[in-house]
Amino acid sequence: MYISMKFISRYVDLPKDLTHDQIAYDLTMRTVEVEEVIKTADRFHDIVVGEIKEVRPHPNADALKICMTDVGEDEIKQIVCGGSNLTAGHKVCVSKPGAEVVWHGEGEPVLIKESKLRGEKSYGMICSPLEVYLGDIIVPKDEREIVDFTELGIECEVGQSVAEVMGMDDVILEVDNKSLSNRPDLWGHYGIARELAAIYKVPLKELSSELPKGLPEYPVTIEEPERCNRFTATKIDNVYVKESPAWMKTLITNAGMRPINALVDITNFVLLAVGAPQHAYDSTHVDGDAIVVRLANDGEKLLLLDEKDLELTHDHLVICDTKKPLNLAGIKGGKDDSVLDDTTSVILECAVFTAPGIRRTTAYFNEKTDSALRYEKGIDTQRADLGVSMALSLFKEIYPDCIFSAFTDNYPVKTENAVIDITQDFLDRRLGEVLPQSEIEDILKRLGYEVSFDGEKYHCIVPTWRSTGDVSIHDDILGDIARLIGYEYFKKQPLPVKFDHCVNQVEKDLARRMREYLAFRCGMNEIFTYPWIDERFIHAAGIDTDKSIRLATPPAPELGMLRSSLIPGMLESIDKNSRYFEEFTLFEAAQVFEKGEYSPSTEEEVLPVHHNLLTGAFAGKDAKELFFKVKGVIEGMGSYCHFEPFTFKQKEKPSWADEKVWLNIMEDGKIAGSIGLISVQALNESGIKMMSAAAFELDTDVIKPYPSRTNEFRHLPQYPLVEQDLSLLVDESVTWGDIREAIKYMVKDLKFVEEYRGKQIPAGKKSIMLSLKIGNDDSTMTSKQIDKKMNGIIKVLGNKCGAQLR
Amino acid sequence: MLDRLEKVREEGFQRIAEAADRDALEAVRKELTGKKSALSEVLKSLGGLEPEMRKSVGMKANEVKNMFAERLQARAEELIASASAVEGEIDLTLPGIEVSGGALHPITQMCYDLNDAFRSLGFEIYSEDDISSEKFAFDNLNFAADHPARASMDTYWLEGTEDKRGNERLCLRPHLTGGSVRYLLEHGAPARFVYPGRVYRNETTDARHERAFFQYEALIVDKDISFSSGRVMIETILEKVFGRKVNVRMREGFFPFTEPGYEIDMECLLCGGKGCKACNHAGWIEVMPGGVIHPNVLRAANLDPDVWTGFYTNIGLDRLVMMRYGVDDVRLFHSADLRFLNQFK
Repeated sequence: MYISMKFISRYVDLPKDLTHDQIAYDLTMRTVEVEEVIKTADRFHDIVVGEIKEVRPHPNADALKICMTDVGEDEIKQIVCGGSNLTAGHKVCVSKPGAEVVWHGEGEPVLIKESKLRGEKSYGMICSPLEVYLGDIIVPKDEREIVDFTELGIECEVGQSVAEVMGMDDVILEVDNKSLSNRPDLWGHYGIARELAAIYKVPLKELSSELPKGLPEYPVTIEEPERCNRFTATKIDNVYVKESPAWMKTLITNAGMRPINALVDITNFVLLAVGAPQHAYDSTHVDGDAIVVRLANDGEKLLLLDEKDLELTHDHLVICDTKKPLNLAGIKGGKDDSVLDDTTSVILECAVFTAPGIRRTTAYFNEKTDSALRYEKGIDTQRADLGVSMALSLFKEIYPDCIFSAFTDNYPVKTENAVIDITQDFLDRRLGEVLPQSEIEDILKRLGYEVSFDGEKYHCIVPTWRSTGDVSIHDDILGDIARLIGYEYFKKQPLPVKFDHCVNQVEKDLARRMREYLAFRCGMNEIFTYPWIDERFIHAAGIDTDKSIRLATPPAPELGMLRSSLIPGMLESIDKNSRYFEEFTLFEAAQVFEKGEYSPSTEEEVLPVHHNLLTGAFAGKDAKELFFKVKGVIEGMGSYCHFEPFTFKQKEKPSWADEKVWLNIMEDGKIAGSIGLISVQALNESGIKMMSAAAFELDTDVIKPYPSRTNEFRHLPQYPLVEQDLSLLVDESVTWGDIREAIKYMVKDLKFVEEYRGKQIPAGKKSIMLSLKIGNDDSTMTSKQIDKKMNGIIKVLGNKCGAQLR
Repeated sequence: MLDRLEKVREEGFQRIAEAADRDALEAVRKELTGKKSALSEVLKSLGGLEPEMRKSVGMKANEVKNMFAERLQARAEELIASASAVEGEIDLTLPGIEVSGGALHPITQMCYDLNDAFRSLGFEIYSEDDISSEKFAFDNLNFAADHPARASMDTYWLEGTEDKRGNERLCLRPHLTGGSVRYLLEHGAPARFVYPGRVYRNETTDARHERAFFQYEALIVDKDISFSSGRVMIETILEKVFGRKVNVRMREGFFPFTEPGYEIDMECLLCGGKGCKACNHAGWIEVMPGGVIHPNVLRAANLDPDVWTGFYTNIGLDRLVMMRYGVDDVRLFHSADLRFLNQFK
């Protein structure tokens, strides 16, 4: 919303030494956020009033004239101009060198320089209103008509700034509408003026709320008093369509609206002034000379002023005559029956519609009008008094001969003042300091409260303009007091600390350690992907979608499904990065969802099942190596993150994994996740080319972290260990796991070194090299003991695994 | 004979001095003191000499032998002191061998920094699930029944629940605040806790707007604490995060779940409050809303608002991280693009 400081000055005299930046700052701190301070005079620099002394023909161009012009400088300037209404002795608008104007009111501003036009020197430019941002205020009859202040009857001095002459020396505060959403009283200049008067402790001018008396009734029926709390109608005759006075057009323009004609401008001016929306109907178009406020019939039609043809439903409130809808109530007028070019008599509506219906209808037709914006915040019914009174006095000012011929105030529901008690004790405790009674009363009274104090509590009658939901509990009043004093003026108070326990959350520590392990120890990069996943990747991963959850209004049609696995997002991320990197490794920790029943807080609330998953992948060339890298990551996780290390088994193949190369991650006998190569099919369907990848996916909720660390320690060997390497020849079917299980109880340490298949190895066999350590607990091993032990090991390997030494 | 010994000594000293490395010195040692050395020859020939001569030559020969030993030792020490493990030339400007490390996401890094700061003040960490109900996301938080945020234009409702109400209408949580009531229902008051997480809004995305973004919310509930304590807490936290004192200001703001509510701005770190492009020439950047917990929210958590009060702070993590590094497009956080993420190692 745009706040014009000239508009504000109609209602409050602010201290003279106050800068606009200070006003913007104080409003931002105490009331609403001012996003920008715009000085309208800025774009009028070097644009001044000039007086044409003489008009001569241009020797080389019939359409141009030479104007000898006094611009308030030492010498008379020669200016070439093509204006159609150049008259000697008249005062005009001159752009001097350095000014910026817009050709024909369109495009970027152009810098004015001294130049020659068709061989004749021209000092500057005599401008049309369109060229100097005045097109809305001074409407030219043709494109070549220049601003003629004399003709317009606007008083001015030669050399005077045009901004000043036209009231464009204004300052506009651009307010963030979001910060106004809870304050219906601030959607007009008078409301902002009231806040400023309270902040700077200066008087606010009172507005008349007098309604016409003794006039005949104009029939108004309200069928839906819950949707329309009040409807006033004033019949005004003997009017016609004409331009508004310049002062009004200027204020309307500066406040961000466009002047249309005086009949419409009056309603807009009142909306900008007190936030009371109004509408004027051509009274000759009101069939049956009566207004009916009712719900539309399903399928009823209404053509709006913006040419939108509405098909109404039974939820839409409309203002009708006895036959048809005239106006979408509180939102936008109908094209056929609002002010027309030949209108001579109007019905002026000033009504109060309630917020919920306006919000629904606005959203339904996507009609966010200035009027709807105000109604949907909740307007007090008393505001119509100010609206009617101000509008009628403007009609008298602009149309001295107009006649108010009928008036009706249909007022089924009146906004009641909220009444709230607030104790001194509550204020003292919550504000953190004790404020004097006089200060509290003064602040509240300036904001329009009626206050009385009984020694213990303040009895507050809330003004109606704050009683539509904004102020309803004593905390709201506390807020008003705190903000007007200014949050910055309250003493800082340290937080009290209690040393009764320390924060000890092993599950949270585990979640963090796992991420840190993957990043810092395993060299993986953490990523985040969206919970909605392109279905292409869900299908590529072969994820069963029977239990998937869908969004009602997804970001895009293919993004409707919420993830039940992190693998599809990982596939998408591998695909993206494969364009830039030959090998890389990623991980992600996030929640996934599936149909089911889960109640985290109350029995009444049943949510889908959530799982906290962790996924990771290595992408590169050598598939086998990638798989064992992933396996190493999972094997090492327990010791770093302080939980019992995982074991592996092949139980259930994950849908995304290679036919052969996969394992389930086991925790306490149950499947906690899987590792595996991404299947060739999944890679293909994800568009990942020339690259292999291995991945893991793990349900971290099943991990039980140690309360602290493992708390175990092994003594260092007292006597030297003997290290021996063995190279074995075994059948292909014998696994490392078989070998390890066969001899692990006989050795102090056992390590896999390498696996080999080649020319020297017979078909169906493979060579496995291992390294082991043996030793006694109570003595150094003798060579005899070593030989005996080694022979035993070799024998066991032979018996259990059919292994031969190579 | 003595002359010859003197010559052997002289030549020997020279050879020792000339030995350029330890291998060469070893060769010289064998040459000078070995069985076939000139000195050995002399000693072997002692038997054929006159007794007197034998004595003086023998003494001289031993003397030379000892002198050789000393010189060899001295030269060996010299060579060790000046030895290098690398033979030949070496280019020390070659790059070091890269440490292959990964990285936490910059959002996670900021989140952990905040966790550390809040934990040092005795806050617990809490996590609410991503899917919530209208009851917890809106009703409990004092949102009006027809508040626009409840519309599907703003919130991602789950298919099949969008036309229901309250507990049965489910959504991807639009903010973290619903979690505050969950925690309070579970733990009661007093309480001080943080609950970081990702939230979801149905928005059109651009460089400053995302559909999924990260928040970091903190709540203190206690008896008789003033909202001005909230400011102290925020200043403390920001100082920890940015490593220096950061000026903040509290100003009027409105949120359904607070009364009073305020916006908290921090001084723009890029210009130091003078005004620059990053802060839209204001000198201040809006970083978080906050406020005193609304009595209706306390009631939803089964707490008596006449006894308990407290205040919220909700930090926009994305914006804070963008400030920290000067990132200018919020969508990068969900891009999974390693060209971006590798910068935060």
